[in-house]
Amino acid sequence: MQEFIQYFFSGITNGAIYAVIAIGFSMLYNSTELINFAHGEFVMLGSMCMITFFGSMHLPLIPAIILAIVCVTAAGLLFERLAIRTVKNPEHIVLIIITVGASIFLRGLGMLIWGKDAFSIPPFSSHPPLDIHGAKLLSQSIWIILIFLLTTVGLQLFYKKTLTGKAMEANAISKRAAWIVGIPSRLMVTLAFGLSATMGAVAGVIIAPVTMCSYDMGTMIGLKGFCAAMLGGLGSLWGALIGGFLLGILEAFGVGFVSSGLKDATAFLLLLFILYVRPGGIISSADVKRF
Amino acid sequence: MTRDRIPYAVFTLIVAAAGWYTDNPYYLQTLTFIGINTLLALGLNMLMGYAGQISLGHAAFYGIGAYGTAILTVHWHVSPWLALPGAVAAAMLVACIVGIPTLKLSGYYLGMGTLGFGMIVNILFREWSSVTGGASGFVGIPSLELGPISFSSTKNYFYLVWGFVIFSFILCHRIINSRVGRALRAIHDGEKAAAAVGVDTAKLKLQVFILSAAFSALAGFLYAHMVFFISPESFDFIASIRIVTMVVIGGMASVWGSLIGASLLTLLPEWLHAFSEFEMVVYGLILMIIMIFLPKGLTRGLLDMFERARKNK
Amino acid sequence: MTDNNHPLLQIESVSKAFGGLQALTDVSFSLTQGTITGLIGPNGAGKTTLFNLISGVFPPDTGTIIFNGTGIRNKKSHQLVSLGIARTFQNVELFDSMTALENILVGQHTRTRCGMLGSIVRLPWVAEEEKKARDFAMELLDLIGLREHAYTTSGDLPFGWQRLLELARAMASRPQLMLLDEPASGLNIVETMRLGDLIKKFRGQGVTVLLVEHDMSLTMEISDRIVVLDQGKKIAEGTPRAVQEDEAVIAAYLGTSKNKADG
Ligand SMILES: Nc1ncnc2c1ncn2[C@@H]1O[C@H](COP(=O)(O)OP(=O)(O)O)[C@@H](O)[C@H]1O
Ligand SMILES: [Mg+2]
Repeated sequence: MQEFIQYFFSGITNGAIYAVIAIGFSMLYNSTELINFAHGEFVMLGSMCMITFFGSMHLPLIPAIILAIVCVTAAGLLFERLAIRTVKNPEHIVLIIITVGASIFLRGLGMLIWGKDAFSIPPFSSHPPLDIHGAKLLSQSIWIILIFLLTTVGLQLFYKKTLTGKAMEANAISKRAAWIVGIPSRLMVTLAFGLSATMGAVAGVIIAPVTMCSYDMGTMIGLKGFCAAMLGGLGSLWGALIGGFLLGILEAFGVGFVSSGLKDATAFLLLLFILYVRPGGIISSADVKRF
Repeated sequence: MTRDRIPYAVFTLIVAAAGWYTDNPYYLQTLTFIGINTLLALGLNMLMGYAGQISLGHAAFYGIGAYGTAILTVHWHVSPWLALPGAVAAAMLVACIVGIPTLKLSGYYLGMGTLGFGMIVNILFREWSSVTGGASGFVGIPSLELGPISFSSTKNYFYLVWGFVIFSFILCHRIINSRVGRALRAIHDGEKAAAAVGVDTAKLKLQVFILSAAFSALAGFLYAHMVFFISPESFDFIASIRIVTMVVIGGMASVWGSLIGASLLTLLPEWLHAFSEFEMVVYGLILMIIMIFLPKGLTRGLLDMFERARKNK
Repeated sequence: MTDNNHPLLQIESVSKAFGGLQALTDVSFSLTQGTITGLIGPNGAGKTTLFNLISGVFPPDTGTIIFNGTGIRNKKSHQLVSLGIARTFQNVELFDSMTALENILVGQHTRTRCGMLGSIVRLPWVAEEEKKARDFAMELLDLIGLREHAYTTSGDLPFGWQRLLELARAMASRPQLMLLDEPASGLNIVETMRLGDLIKKFRGQGVTVLLVEHDMSLTMEISDRIVVLDQGKKIAEGTPRAVQEDEAVIAAYLGTSKNKADG
């Protein structure tokens, strides 16, 4: 029982992280029908910024987090402006290769700035872990889940309550219709890139204390997030949440009861299984074609 | 000799001349790697460029070719020349089994399905250490010999690899310019319409998936017997993405595009060694810039530029 | 087979729903070999859906479709083409990156045999088959007047020609039954007349045609029979003259009021 709860805790902690990353993928997909293969690198940048601002410069926690998120969001906006918007007749596969190029570029940039070493930072607060039936819930896990909740609720409010958010949703549903009622879709795409990078940054910030951060951490975690987004159903925010937690929890039990080498395989086996039995993801939206 | 054979004849001559005049083993080796990568790109181009089906897991077949021959020759003491059809057949079989459910998907879901497959195979290479040597790799793969000819010489290996490349070019050229090739392009342009004119799209997609797996496995075989040591990193997700990039950068649906894409992506890292720690940054930038300014790939893009320059004169 | 009154296609109480939307309800009629049947009805009546059922895109919820005496429920689209059913699409669906000639060659896919191995080995029969296919394709291009554009990329052809090319592509499979989905839409008067002639020529060669068309003068002129659908139900069937005088048909068309039912 104790073991079971322990795995569950680790599952929801990872699940929250995957969910935030998956939301980033889904959000961008909604507005642009594009998968950003550099998304994992934004997570990496978020983590590494935390290493610098919180770990080395010893800024207070909240300013460090905000600064990290602002930096990464700016990088996302810059990426959209310089690389994506400049393509004249964008074909999907071309944009995808551009994001692949960007991921290599950002990884290289990370290596230039932070070197090849792996870093970690202390947890956001030094409370002792909670003890529940002998299983330990680390304080950082609580931070992760709190920030996750804050982010998703914030996002939900943004989409439902603000004009910009509603405009983004409208644009995601139908570009033409949105354009007719005067919503500039160009701007919405930029915004989607920015927000998606923000999600990456948030994920990067919250995992910095629980993982070894290095310039090349983005690939795997990005893939897992992509996996989670697909599991739930690409383009659906609820799908991203479900996919993230499903993946996190199954992976935790995979490590617990099978072997740690199979941890990474769990994600992908699960993915293949879902794709074969329910080709559109758990919450399947309309056909996701393209390429 | 019909007209469409001329480029291949010229190309064969160029390859022969390149082999004849190059003595520097480093250059020969780099050229041989280009050949191996061309096989990879060519195989994927048949699937992606012609039939319009993405695969983000092709490094798995590359790996099955390499590990297949390693296991057969080292553990089972099979002759490499028997291991070649063995490894290729294994990859084709896997492609068939995986392809049947996966090719029902399309777009990103197909991308993700193939990606997941590639990751699982890679994890298998890494974790099944009793057979594959695990993360530390597989050592002691024998060099190739054919009667008196030893392919441990860099030059002979160069000829061997490029022989296979030319053979594959002709093979692909024939398929592309046939009833099957037209049907493939029809699927690319519109799967619904292709089915409506009588193309068995599911069967054909599976066939070309298996064909492209065979090319990748051949490349894997040649790679394994060239470097004698293989490890899982050579066949990971990044490797799969690199094959996709070769195809897109070179030019989709173009046999020569595969050659150009493979050449560029093989040579670029070599040239960029000079940038030492800036290597990755520059590499990423170059990929982005090519795609931004020549979105149809180098082959088409450069031809278009040439055309425009000529017209402006 | 040679019996002229033998029904080539029988549609028996076919229904199809998409989610809650009942696209077709209990539709029955049959097509006599060697005739042209006009299938008309306002937008959303279910005409294209019926075409999709006949060409095997999806199966009907209930009811059966019998082609040449055999049910087609478990047949895939490509198998139906081999059996002799060809179709065109409401929104032209050519292979845009391929030439006009290549489009027609793909149209002959079920009438040629060369497979993956055959194309690699290139035995003499392959070259012969290829030559025959090209000759036939050229004949068809001649028929629609596009011989000079055999090597033009089909996506670059003007729209009207694309429609004709799609028709030729369907004809290339040597069908017994042709399903034409609004072939005249987007064509000018001259092109429409040429289309009418072509369709009649096909009938002359023994091909049975099911024609969905909003251009009433064309439909009424060339059709032997007319079937009228409205909101998924068959509301009338008969000769063009009888249908034009049918109360229910007039009511359905007045309801939408945008179609000119002249005659
Ligand atoms: N694949 C589909 N999925 C959902 N609804 C469909 C589909 N095809 C057609 N419909 C619906 O069925 C009805 C009939 O459409 P259709 O057969 O295209 O009409 P027509 O061709 O007579 O204009 C319409 O309301 C249409 O929206
Ligand atoms: Mg219609």
